Amino acid sequence: MKLKLLFICLIAYPTLLISQSKLEIEAQDFFWGENDNYKNAVDIPEKWQNESAVIIYKNENYDFHKFGKRVEYKSSLRKRIKLLDQASVTEFSTFTYQKRFSSSKGYSGYKASHAIVGLKVVKQDGTETIVDIEKEAVEVDGETKIAIANLEIGDILDFYYYSVEPFKSIQAFGFEPVEQTLGEEYPIMDYKLYFQTENDFFINFNSYNGAPELTEIPVKKNNTRRYELVANNIEKHKYERWFYPLVELPTYKFQVYFARSGKFEDRALAFLPEKEDIIKKTVSKEEVLDYYEKYTPLGDLGSIERFIKDNNFESEREKVIAVYYFARHKFLTQYVEAIIVNEAEILANPFIATKTNPHLFRNDQYFVRHFMAFLYDFKYDYDVIVGKKRYDGDLNELLIQKNANILLRVNTSPPVYLDNFKIHSDVNQFNYLMEGTDVYELSAKKKRLDQITTGKLPQTSYDQNESYKEVTISLNDDFSGFNYQGINKYKGYEKVGHQFDKLMFKDYVVEDYEKYETEPFIEQIRNKKSRAKTKKELDALVVKLREKQSENLKESVASELDIEDVTDYTFSIEETGRYGFDTYFTYNESFNTSDQFIKKAGPNYILEVGKFIGGQVDLTDEDRKRVENIYMNYPRSYNYNITVNIPEGYSVSGLEKLNKSIENKTGAFISSATIEGNQIIITTTKQYKNNYEDNADWPLMMEFLDEAFQFTNEKILLKKS
Amino acid sequence: MIKNYLTVLIILACSLFTNAQKNTEPTPEEIKLAESLKEAFPDDHVASESENYHISFEYNKRTKKIEVVEEITQNLINLDSRANIQVYSFYNGESEIESFKIKYKTNRDTDSYIQDEAIKSDDLFHNDSRVKYTNLAFPLKGYKYQVEIIKRYKDIKYFTSLYFNDDYPTVKKTFTIDIPNWLDLELKEMNFNGFAINKTLKSDSKNNSKTHTFTLENAAAMFDDTSSPGPTYIYPHILVLAKSYTYDGEKTNIFESTQDLYNWYKTLVNSLENDNTDLQAKVIELTQDATTDEEKIKNIYYWVQDNIRYIAFVDGIAGFKPDEASSVFKKRYGDCKGMANLTKQMLIEAGFDARLTWIGTNRIAYDYSTPSLSVDNHMICTLYNNNEPVYLDGTEKFNAYKEYANRIQGKQVLIENGDEFILNVVPKVDADFNKETVNYQLSLENEQLSGTVSKTFRGESRSSLLQYLNQLQTDKKDKFLLWYLNGGDSNTKVEDISTSNLRDREIPINIDYRITINNAVSSFDDTIYIDLDLDKELSGYNFEKRNTDFVFDYKKHLQSTTTLDIPDGYKIGSLPEDISLANDNFNLKVSFTEIDNKIVYKKDFEITKNVINKTEFNEWNGFIKNLNTIYNEQITLIKQ
Repeated sequence: MKLKLLFICLIAYPTLLISQSKLEIEAQDFFWGENDNYKNAVDIPEKWQNESAVIIYKNENYDFHKFGKRVEYKSSLRKRIKLLDQASVTEFSTFTYQKRFSSSKGYSGYKASHAIVGLKVVKQDGTETIVDIEKEAVEVDGETKIAIANLEIGDILDFYYYSVEPFKSIQAFGFEPVEQTLGEEYPIMDYKLYFQTENDFFINFNSYNGAPELTEIPVKKNNTRRYELVANNIEKHKYERWFYPLVELPTYKFQVYFARSGKFEDRALAFLPEKEDIIKKTVSKEEVLDYYEKYTPLGDLGSIERFIKDNNFESEREKVIAVYYFARHKFLTQYVEAIIVNEAEILANPFIATKTNPHLFRNDQYFVRHFMAFLYDFKYDYDVIVGKKRYDGDLNELLIQKNANILLRVNTSPPVYLDNFKIHSDVNQFNYLMEGTDVYELSAKKKRLDQITTGKLPQTSYDQNESYKEVTISLNDDFSGFNYQGINKYKGYEKVGHQFDKLMFKDYVVEDYEKYETEPFIEQIRNKKSRAKTKKELDALVVKLREKQSENLKESVASELDIEDVTDYTFSIEETGRYGFDTYFTYNESFNTSDQFIKKAGPNYILEVGKFIGGQVDLTDEDRKRVENIYMNYPRSYNYNITVNIPEGYSVSGLEKLNKSIENKTGAFISSATIEGNQIIITTTKQYKNNYEDNADWPLMMEFLDEAFQFTNEKILLKKS
Repeated sequence: MIKNYLTVLIILACSLFTNAQKNTEPTPEEIKLAESLKEAFPDDHVASESENYHISFEYNKRTKKIEVVEEITQNLINLDSRANIQVYSFYNGESEIESFKIKYKTNRDTDSYIQDEAIKSDDLFHNDSRVKYTNLAFPLKGYKYQVEIIKRYKDIKYFTSLYFNDDYPTVKKTFTIDIPNWLDLELKEMNFNGFAINKTLKSDSKNNSKTHTFTLENAAAMFDDTSSPGPTYIYPHILVLAKSYTYDGEKTNIFESTQDLYNWYKTLVNSLENDNTDLQAKVIELTQDATTDEEKIKNIYYWVQDNIRYIAFVDGIAGFKPDEASSVFKKRYGDCKGMANLTKQMLIEAGFDARLTWIGTNRIAYDYSTPSLSVDNHMICTLYNNNEPVYLDGTEKFNAYKEYANRIQGKQVLIENGDEFILNVVPKVDADFNKETVNYQLSLENEQLSGTVSKTFRGESRSSLLQYLNQLQTDKKDKFLLWYLNGGDSNTKVEDISTSNLRDREIPINIDYRITINNAVSSFDDTIYIDLDLDKELSGYNFEKRNTDFVFDYKKHLQSTTTLDIPDGYKIGSLPEDISLANDNFNLKVSFTEIDNKIVYKKDFEITKNVINKTEFNEWNGFIKNLNTIYNEQITLIKQ
């Protein structure tokens, strides 16, 4: 056996050396060979002289070959960059990569994939130096690192990364989709993207927002196809707040799918073109239906049926809502403690300890099919909804199956939307990036999906997605600080992040156990001693996590108010808000702070009351010149009710500055302040009315953003009587 | 059958777990101990009940080097309800970890998976340091593990010190050092004052050796303060000074004296080829039009600063031996040693007397009276111009000729001088050298302050700003400057900026601009309330929670003057009270005066030695509290 292994090694090793050096020659010739049209390109346009760097030429190549079940995927990138300042010289002066790596595609050998890097420095006088990587690189733990010698401002760095990934694919295989804008951190003079494929490779490719189209280049070989996308004069990317680059900037998207036969084509998780020589640019309604036809009702409904049998429901609509929350517990939250116990290494095999076979939904498809089975069995009228997220373009731009999101609509009155479970997911809550978008509605006359129409998902309003705070401020007797008592409430899409960040697993797991009378995980552990040990260690973990929870909440409020000194922090979770999109997640908190927001002014004090609503968007002059449209996640409102206890012996001046009112079609900032007894009562509301605003309405948005920012600068005077 | 088999497995697994639990679960006494340790060390999650280092020495006949075997036994106990930590040990080309074991308190091996990774560092592009580590979960308060590590240093000169403080507080830390009589080794006690370190010495005539033990009880964990002095200043430790050994009757020096240390460094330097052919043309280019020696030197020194990137390869002897100057020149990158050598060789080519120079930066408390590799961590070049030494540090960017970064000021240097060496000290400057002046000339109209600002930066306040600006992308520099001047607050509008040449390292930076400030003024009932301070320097420098001295990057001197015209028809209602505090290390003053119908608000903050000592924290914190009171106080103007 040993001899045999040695023999294999002896043969394999020289082959490997040869293949590596052959690849190096191949890569170098491919980019810097005789056909390199950019060999002498050194000049950059005047308009980009003040940039950090300019990409003279960017070239991306994707090459797909197959030999039966064996696929060879080559991808490469070349950039020829003129470095114009120290920042770009530093940025490009070192390279780190893996020469050999294990491909994540299909079945491939250990580190069977190769990467070749070529680096060439072109000095201003035209002299070229190709970096001798073998000589100059160091390799540590499989990572090759190279520091490029003699790289200076004004030089051109011409580099390529060329990778070859061989793998076997017995079934169909989808390469990772690519969706990117033409622009990047530095401006690009010339850009070329090449595709080379042959039979059994199916390409979906399209260009958007003014990006050039992919065109076919004639080739001599019968079964080989070559395509190119050529662009030039591409400005660098801008990074803006509230911006979806893939919707506004020249962009291309593609996915390549390998399917060896019609059988695999049918099973492919993609919207494949009809033939390999067709580049698929759009996906029709019929193709969507064809793809989702395989989503048939499927699932063991035993537990749901028992739940329905044991409970009464006011209506069919109430029933489906109740079933969703029950199933969220049954198929997800009842396993949370077991998963945590496992991750914390308290129990190596929690499900063996409880002798249970956990039933978790692996992906959206499992959820949809299980609920289809329930809806079908209980004779609900429902649709399967297929749509895409707003940052990725409109429905008619659907190209890549992975970008399609699926959920269910139960056609009760009003309808109920059901999306795959998350720990705190609600009925009628789906990904907010799909709100108000056009979608496909798939329905079944009988059992199998056989109808498709288009429709639109509902859109929440700003008052549904609310962050609400009731704050009471009591100043210290010596005005050195104040006590803060806050009630924080979040609902709609505003609560999702807060629940995730601020709730600890015990906060919701116990609630679910009690609601559905589930035997807690600990009690399910059969062995008595193991149960006692697990309980003890889990309790210890909870104590630790509670400390962290308190620390996180403390940091959260300190960051929100931009204060450093928070002492005596306490909190209590009042409502988890986990059984209704419109129910509040509520928690109370209190703390003391000093040297914040109170300024001595002779015998009087100035209180920066505006700061109690937390930091607001502070627009720079550059922000004000914005030319892009405005893309936000969802409409929302931030409401405050602030009570300031007036210290005894003091009167208040300046309340009128707290009365503000800007309202227009994009949003609002409205505030008012009154005195009631010995308290100042301040209410504010800031509303973002839509999730999208046209750039023409940016001035309207700035109006209320500025007003809110100005509010944070407002002060009142506490005047000694 | 399969089902039965599975059942047996499950039962077996459960019983194993139960057994483990039965024996590893903390006893009430252990929980009590954890609680009392938590009281003593409230900020720590885990403590060492005991930590024993046993150090022994062996002569390796093959390599002819003294090897050091360090056996560490650490008994860890969890102080919290639960803790997750990493235990680790570093090694490199000159050391190896022979054994790394974790045991339960029952002495049973945990069979933890020990990972082995290269160390990645932002400062060092490549180094040969590696780490072995494992993750440990303490599921309950009072839970214990024993960590056993055996590490071997292949050459005694790399085994330089033993620290009593570590990641976790230790109830009892013991170093047991067996020194054979054939080895002359000094154990130099550093920072022992104030610590009850118990020492014993036993001779073992049978083994021909001596055993030193050092024990410290209740050693705190190392502090995680930022801007602290280097550990050599603040923690008690033992410097291990290997002087010589005698083998087969023959005595061999290791580092018996500074001369030995220099000799070793010099052997590394002497092995350089110093073929300067490649850099001669550049030296000519840089010096041919220079009219004075100083101009030639500057041209070379600044060229190295501007054109050689700091990229360090620390691998084996490369950590001590400089790269060839021609290699650094060709590559346009190098570490401090490479840059020092290139500076030296270029200056030699230009006809100057330049020498390599070893130095410990101000992170290191020692000087060359201690012959050890732990004395230095940096290399520069010394130029003798008219017999006067001038120190040139190529790693500093925008550092003017004859200006020295604070990190090397006052530090002893070891300058090469043939077979011997020269010891010298890098000159110090006072805080005024780095003076930063700010002048606001403001007037008030319609609740808005406006006027002009003039800022000047000298010394290191200048070089640090120049360095930061020049590493930014060209198209982002203006944006940064604007942000820097308005503090990222849109209430402050900055316009008409004019600056001195922001690439010239020899002149102070001057920045002049016009300013408009909104929301700094409020009017209530015929009284105007003004927040006159835009910068509020030092406001966050409260050291109440610090355990160690605070070290500023360099000695600071800020002089800020804000002049506000009092509007017609108004008089001053109230001004904050003046405050001041002065001692040997700092001189701080804030004053408000009325001159010619103007309010003149002055701040003068001088940190004379760039360190605020712990012993000064009380008075310092008192001043900062008063300063913040001023910052929180409004100037009032009353309608006449």
